[in-house]
Amino acid sequence: MTDWIQELQTTIGAAKVLISPIDRIAYSFDSTFEQQLPDAIVLPETNEEVSAAVRIAARYDVPIVPRGMASGLAGGSIPTRGGIVLSLTRMNRILEIDKENMTATVQAGVVTADLQAEVEKLGLFYPPDPSSIKQSTIGGNVACNAGGPRCLKYGVTGDYVLGLTVVLADGRLVKTGGKAIKYVTGFNMNQFFVGSEGALGVITEVILRLICKPPYARTALVHFPTLEDASQSVHAVLTRGLVPATLELLDETAIECIEEAMHLGLPLDVEAILLVECDGADKESVNREIDTIADICLQTGASRVDVARNEEERAELWRARRSVSPSLARKAPNKLGEDITVPRSAIPEAARRLKAISDKHGLPIVIFGHAGDGNLHPNILFDKRDPEQWQKVEQMVGEIFALALELGGTLSGEHGIGTFKLPYMRQALGQASINIQWRVKQAMDPQNILNPGKVLPEP
Amino acid sequence: MTKAIAELQRSAEEEALYCVRCGLCLSVCPGYRESLNETDSPRARVALVRAAKEGLLEVSSDGYSTAFFRCLLCGACTFVCPSGVAVDRILELTRGELASLGLLPQALADLDARIAEYRNISAEANEGRLIWVDNLPTPPTGLGKERAKVAYFVGCVSSFFPRSYKVPQSLVQILDLAGVDYALLGGAEWCCGYPMFIDGEPDRARELIHHNVEAVRAMGAQKVVTTCPSCFHFWKHSYPAALQVDRMEDLGLEIQHATEFLADLLELGDLKLHELRQNVTYHDPCDLGRKGGVLEAPRRILAQIPGLRLVEMPENRDSSYCCGGGGNLESFAPEMSGAVARKRIQQAAAVGAGTLVSACQQCERTLANAARAEHMRIRVKDITEVVLEALEE
Repeated sequence: MTDWIQELQTTIGAAKVLISPIDRIAYSFDSTFEQQLPDAIVLPETNEEVSAAVRIAARYDVPIVPRGMASGLAGGSIPTRGGIVLSLTRMNRILEIDKENMTATVQAGVVTADLQAEVEKLGLFYPPDPSSIKQSTIGGNVACNAGGPRCLKYGVTGDYVLGLTVVLADGRLVKTGGKAIKYVTGFNMNQFFVGSEGALGVITEVILRLICKPPYARTALVHFPTLEDASQSVHAVLTRGLVPATLELLDETAIECIEEAMHLGLPLDVEAILLVECDGADKESVNREIDTIADICLQTGASRVDVARNEEERAELWRARRSVSPSLARKAPNKLGEDITVPRSAIPEAARRLKAISDKHGLPIVIFGHAGDGNLHPNILFDKRDPEQWQKVEQMVGEIFALALELGGTLSGEHGIGTFKLPYMRQALGQASINIQWRVKQAMDPQNILNPGKVLPEP
Repeated sequence: MTKAIAELQRSAEEEALYCVRCGLCLSVCPGYRESLNETDSPRARVALVRAAKEGLLEVSSDGYSTAFFRCLLCGACTFVCPSGVAVDRILELTRGELASLGLLPQALADLDARIAEYRNISAEANEGRLIWVDNLPTPPTGLGKERAKVAYFVGCVSSFFPRSYKVPQSLVQILDLAGVDYALLGGAEWCCGYPMFIDGEPDRARELIHHNVEAVRAMGAQKVVTTCPSCFHFWKHSYPAALQVDRMEDLGLEIQHATEFLADLLELGDLKLHELRQNVTYHDPCDLGRKGGVLEAPRRILAQIPGLRLVEMPENRDSSYCCGGGGNLESFAPEMSGAVARKRIQQAAAVGAGTLVSACQQCERTLANAARAEHMRIRVKDITEVVLEALEE
């Protein structure tokens, strides 16, 4: 056994440091198809234990990769250079829900859905809703700046971060922000760590802003014979000054996959559906809003609008939406889900070009995503065991990113860069931006031990 | 490795390929929710099967076998998987492979050997299966009967563990009050074979299966009623394949859990049920509900009892949370099993139930123990006890 593992065991406790081959496999992957074995896994329960682990990693110059429930889609929490996986899942206490100031202070390992359920008991609301809501943690959500359908109206995870406790690369603990809503005191250190994918520090606690739970919601399923019209409708709705909570787009292949898995009676003769939800404090205005949106959609090409009649129907629609990504598994052994964003008006063009890429290479691309945000999730379906297919996938990914950049968009809207998008970062950001960011990384983590080889290409 | 095992293993791996590692199974896995260690998750088990196939580790590696037995077999992962991965099938096949390689945990190997020798899980003389009738006010009419329409298959736990005697005692009293033509099998009842099946030794269960089916057919029974959800699930869903038929009905046998039988019986309206003013919650046993498909019958029974108010826990029916007593986990990880049970009893208390009703002798035992450990004033009862109570008052 190496010295540093021994030191981890003596300092943090042998029961919290796993090194068996079985454990190393269990912590070698995220929700992609890549994997790499860590040398050891640490399961800390306190800030001090996190600090101790990072300090030992620094002393022995060992990579340390923080993770929550490893539901990431970009390889961000895979220990690509071995070393330590620091799993924060046991730091899962909600430390405080402050009703008066409408904040929640939580440890990084709290599951997002659990936090939502707790605050909703008090009539409060934490809006960010990644599809992995039940299998992702607040720490991971902050580190990837997770989005979700509701973020169209309510904003993304970063918009709710008021304060953080972070363990730095030398093991020191730093607190940023606080419960005050306005906080213009020095650089905005909260946003500095939001989306940093564990490369600048280990987030251990988060103070989150909460809002009041909107008591009323109505959800509609809108059928569109053409994807172009669906996109036009999104534009028409938003430019009329209406801000629904969600405007989710699913293309025909996505609909087919869900329907095969769940048999919900979704339409199989349309190019796209939109899942629209309106919510608010006033029942009448929510009803009016969903009706107005239905009218707009029908005027802009929708062939049919079905508004969910009750909570069960509504829940079912959302279960369907959340199941899209995993339901693709029955179509092909592997999928590569991308996360490009484009300016909203470019969605039809993006969809056309994605189809063209699919046709050119002969592998299916399923398109779904947050149309209101211009955030699309094209998923390539393939079999990684076939080297020819894998080669095509690599070319397709390059072409997908190129189209996003050409249309004025970027590589990722909410999944992050991880390792998967690293090769395209220069193209997306330009060398000057990479250089500046790399200097920031070096200032924060001079030994490059915090999740090395992620987010940022070395200059 | 024999050819048959190679084939089995291949299909476990093929099933494992469908896993996209989304991690949704972690959110419903009672074991993972206690340890918060990925190694205890269904996703990790699937990954281990793949890793073994890819040569990253040997199945004989330290901890490999344990990973597949540190599981409640509650089936929540299989139920929730959006990719439709049959995790239960992967577990079954992998346990089979481990057993064939002599890597079955000793406690389970001993259990299976005991069943093979004594025909029951307790290593007691099998003729002693009806000792629980001794405490009844009058001998049940099904005792010593040679022919009957209904065979009541009591199951090993209720036959040999005094704590669970009240389950068959309650059921036979109800059957007698209703004048049902039923018979008890006594020593002719052998273990249903489920433990061997889940331990990865399905072939050893074959003799038991054939014997039991012959025994009930010999008494001219058209229906087999069980109070044990595991016996029920195994008889109904695994016996047919072992007997090379599609359904047990093809052999002229209908398999019912006692809750299904009683729901039909009570809805006839011939039995007078008295008022029981209680707030109860119903805990769906995994083998009966999610895996067995019997979700409404117990609720139909409770709905028949005047005054009784059923309050559901958020995790109910198909989404029921295991009692902690599944999959023999108690023998390897009593702490994890106990913690799962405590979580479930807390869920019952949280909805304001004064009584937790289940329909399984194992759930009753683990949950009652948890209530005691937590010093909680909540009663835990089998549904047959509740029905008898309503009939007696």
